[in-house]
Amino acid sequence: MAVATFSQIDEYGFERPTTFDYKTYEDFMSKYLRILARRSKRWEELKESEKTRRTNILKRFVRKGIPITRRPIVWMSISGGQQAREQSNYTYLQLKERISNASINETIEIDLPRTFPDNIYFTKENILPRQLFNILSTFAHQNNDVGYCQGLNYIAGLLILATKSEEYSFWLLKVLVENILPKYYIKSMSGLLTDLAVLDELVEINEPILHRHIKAIGMPWAVTTTKWFICIYSEVLPIETVLRIWDCIFYEGSKIIFRVALTLIKMHKAEILECKDLADIVTCFKSMAHNPKVIDCHYFMSRIFKLPGRLSNKQLEELRNKHALAK
Amino acid sequence: MENMATRTQTAQRPNGSAQGKICQFKLVLLGESAVGKSSLVLRFVKGQFHEYQESTIGAAFLTQTVCLDDTTVKFEIWDTAGQERYHSLAPMYYRGAQAAIVVYDITNQDTFGRAKTWVKELQRQASPNIVIALAGNKQDLANKRMVEFEEAQNYADENTLLFMETSAKTAMNVNDIFLAIAKKLPRNEQASGASASGQGRRLAEGDTGARAAGSCCK
Ligand SMILES: Nc1nc2c(ncn2[C@@H]2O[C@H](COP(=O)(O)OP(=O)(O)O)[C@@H](O)[C@H]2O)c(=O)[nH]1
Ligand SMILES: [Mg+2]
Repeated sequence: MAVATFSQIDEYGFERPTTFDYKTYEDFMSKYLRILARRSKRWEELKESEKTRRTNILKRFVRKGIPITRRPIVWMSISGGQQAREQSNYTYLQLKERISNASINETIEIDLPRTFPDNIYFTKENILPRQLFNILSTFAHQNNDVGYCQGLNYIAGLLILATKSEEYSFWLLKVLVENILPKYYIKSMSGLLTDLAVLDELVEINEPILHRHIKAIGMPWAVTTTKWFICIYSEVLPIETVLRIWDCIFYEGSKIIFRVALTLIKMHKAEILECKDLADIVTCFKSMAHNPKVIDCHYFMSRIFKLPGRLSNKQLEELRNKHALAK
Repeated sequence: MENMATRTQTAQRPNGSAQGKICQFKLVLLGESAVGKSSLVLRFVKGQFHEYQESTIGAAFLTQTVCLDDTTVKFEIWDTAGQERYHSLAPMYYRGAQAAIVVYDITNQDTFGRAKTWVKELQRQASPNIVIALAGNKQDLANKRMVEFEEAQNYADENTLLFMETSAKTAMNVNDIFLAIAKKLPRNEQASGASASGQGRRLAEGDTGARAAGSCCK
């Protein structure tokens, strides 16, 4: 097959950069399309109730990827988004009517044209920037502790692209920020600082030599991984990989972020150990997104459940408590 | 996609001779969100301008090399996020920096106020001999100006800051402000190996980390 089979715009509307590695993508896609077809068939065979109820079967299915067309509904049900929507005293439309704070709105407006400028659906003429504004501002108005935090624009933006629904995107953003992720986005960003410390300890436990090397160079984790946590890998990893990660986060929660982080770090151990200084490390971390093993999201997702070893919610909670207290 | 850090080649010339000095400096950009920090860096490093520059989450890292007389000056540039709540992460970017550009938008008085806060913080917390430059960006929008040139110049003089009005869009004064900073940075022999104390690091001959561009001073 010719390498030119793939257009310069991907299926989510992102322009492929001029440096896009069509060959690697082609190699991956020729395999992945078959996997997608097979997974899609398996999902069809599930009983209706099994498609949304949280069971071990569904968990396994989610780990292997939710078919594109089912994502909106399945995300809503496994994440608690649907439940939040049904139990809320207000409908999304009612919440949206409260948008009023000029200073919040102004901050959000500034970020609209700066969200996915390389995506054809996010150009000024399209409705997506308006929908993005509605979601972010409605969210900010119903959560004073968070308000608007830069980075949420990328999460909400990707939610709209994946669900094609303003309302679903709002509820998914709400459960992500308020239930699934710890306090990353509040004014002190304390949850982020805690999780950066937790990552440091997990790397130390898992990869002591690597940890010593990174320490010797003097790289604070915030420098290379803030965006990993804040954007949950959107704008960091290839979009297919990000959506597969989000499938699991909606089901299994924020520990998946650490599984991904540890997998990325372990996969690039040799490269990181070769880094001589901070500049090297930053470049190395940035290049991880271009590794064929990361682009191959199916392979990558199978690795995140093996490579980092055991990581339970309980262990994560203990580490978080320890590092939250340490401050 | 965000800009990749630019990789430059290994220095080609022998480094010991008087005319082949290579210095490496850490520079940080600070300032309110959307004043044009990322755009200034993009203009300086790649000569480009994007009408819709992506918002920066956390920080971005880029490098660029300039030539000054007989010295190759390599900037390691940290471009930070502007939103107030990311403030707690800022110290790790300006810690150990030899230079800072504090940016405001000349069409927005609030951003000038915020710039002053950054200058104060740097004067208190950063390396004592840090070179601070103040950039009044978006000079091409002078018809919508809200911050007078004289006001900013006076403030800069009082605080011994370098000051220029810049435009990432038209490129006005962009290279100039980086060059002016490079001129003020210590490039003498004593600077060698003194990065921790806020001085430029002279890359020693055979330094495996010597990735500064080799040919720009030819
Ligand atoms: N007219 C004009 N617009 C600019 C200039 N510099 C940046 N911008 C625009 O201002 C917005 C914010 O710029 P950005 O570099 O992302 O700001 P940052 O948040 O400080 O990094 C973008 O839309 C830029 O295109 C400039 O010199 N002139
Ligand atoms: Mg920026």
